[in-house]
Amino acid sequence: MNGFECMPYKLTHIALLATTLFAAGASADDFEAPMFSFSGFGTLSVAHSSEDKADFTSNTIKPNGAGYSHAWSADVDSLIGAQVTANFTRQISAVVQVISEQGYDNSYTPTVEWANIKYAITPDFSVRLGRIVLPVFMTSDYRKVGYANPWVRPPVEFYSLVPVSNNDGVDVMYRFRTGNVTNSIQGLYGKKAIKTVGGGTINATDTVVVSDTLEYGALTFHTTYHQVNIAIGNSSLPIKLLAFGANYDPGHWFVMGEFAMNRSDMSNSNGWYVTGGYRIKNLTPYLTYSRLTALSNPGLGFPPAGQQNVSAGVRWDFYKNFDLKLQYEHINLDAGSSGTLINLQPGFQPGGRVNVFSVAVDFVF
Amino acid sequence: MNPIMSIMNRIGIIIIGLALNLGPEPAAAEVIVVVSATNPVTTLSKNQVVDIFLGKVSRFPGGSQAEPIDQVEGSAAREEFYLKFAGKSPAQLKAHWSKIIFTGRGQPPQETSNDIEVKKFITKVPNAIGYIERKQVDGSVKVLLTQ
Repeated sequence: MNGFECMPYKLTHIALLATTLFAAGASADDFEAPMFSFSGFGTLSVAHSSEDKADFTSNTIKPNGAGYSHAWSADVDSLIGAQVTANFTRQISAVVQVISEQGYDNSYTPTVEWANIKYAITPDFSVRLGRIVLPVFMTSDYRKVGYANPWVRPPVEFYSLVPVSNNDGVDVMYRFRTGNVTNSIQGLYGKKAIKTVGGGTINATDTVVVSDTLEYGALTFHTTYHQVNIAIGNSSLPIKLLAFGANYDPGHWFVMGEFAMNRSDMSNSNGWYVTGGYRIKNLTPYLTYSRLTALSNPGLGFPPAGQQNVSAGVRWDFYKNFDLKLQYEHINLDAGSSGTLINLQPGFQPGGRVNVFSVAVDFVF
Repeated sequence: MNPIMSIMNRIGIIIIGLALNLGPEPAAAEVIVVVSATNPVTTLSKNQVVDIFLGKVSRFPGGSQAEPIDQVEGSAAREEFYLKFAGKSPAQLKAHWSKIIFTGRGQPPQETSNDIEVKKFITKVPNAIGYIERKQVDGSVKVLLTQ
């Protein structure tokens, strides 16, 4: 086992040890909130793809999905997550979140999604250390929490630009208010050992994220700069990404969109989406258009991954803390492209059209 | 008819059937925002109140720490408050907090069981802010003007 593989266990141990130590020493009189809170979330779903010579999947670091491997695949979106939050004092808290989902090795072995300790110097200025979210996109914080999202999954055309959800490192958050505008600035430095299908590891180091979130009533703007070095043999490939997002959610309806540019010496791509929904009692029908464009393909054997996706769905909040979603997607692969499809089989024709239908039940507890 | 279409049709019929008769009816009582009688704050905008309860702001405009107190899930006062002030149904409110809880960024306000408990909390915690039915207002709390 190398150092990277040890990392999640080390982090968990640190967080758990800290939990025990503080639990012994903390006094409750200045803090009424419960010290430990347990919560969880999950999605049970199946997806069907009309393309039977390749697999549709929610994340390109999964080994298989719907289409070739399974006519109906429960692996595309199903997952369960559990979290313990510990408030030791008003300033110091810790969170450990574990998720079981289809991994690179096709197993559901639980992995540590977050394990960090937070020190809040003030309620608006905090530092976190450990395994933390990689806060690149608007829904990065909760991209795996189906209940918090309007769709069955965040648009693959856009979110595949950064398939990684966490990093091991440190982040700083500062929030201030000017008039009625809340501004949150976040900076992260970290690294990540990404497990790939087949058992390899890609080392992503020197990750830097700087993001700014502006909130004014129902309106949110998000801007992010992200850079990372991917180790390839003895050299490293720097990747840079700039992302913008906006969300307007006054209550009865919402509209949201994001745009990102991904740049490296190996491939340049842009992704964006626009989505909107209208809430009628417990039903929220929604429409999404999303686009991934490969701008250039300077070589090294990577196929150009471009596709557009028009999807329609409905969310039904049928019971307290549960929702049911139906989603239909029509994907147009760019000429010569296999898009975000994986497991291409002999006879697969690039540049075709793919229909995907998904049913999901999301819950939180 | 293929099995997928048949499943979709069945689900469609169930959804239409249930959508027509489910959904919370707005409560009739008038819910107002209250703070401690000693709190110097007299007026807040609807947005300012909502931002405090949704965890977007931790302080009153004057700079002092704000301590929001919620009523329990499922209570009429809570549903009315979030619908009227934030335009959020209970499910939308749950989704909002799911976004914050599951990254360890924060926790929802503490909860109490009813209007009387809210008033008791505000008497104990001078920088608290809560919501109760208008007819429950007495000398222990101050009604906040909300625009």
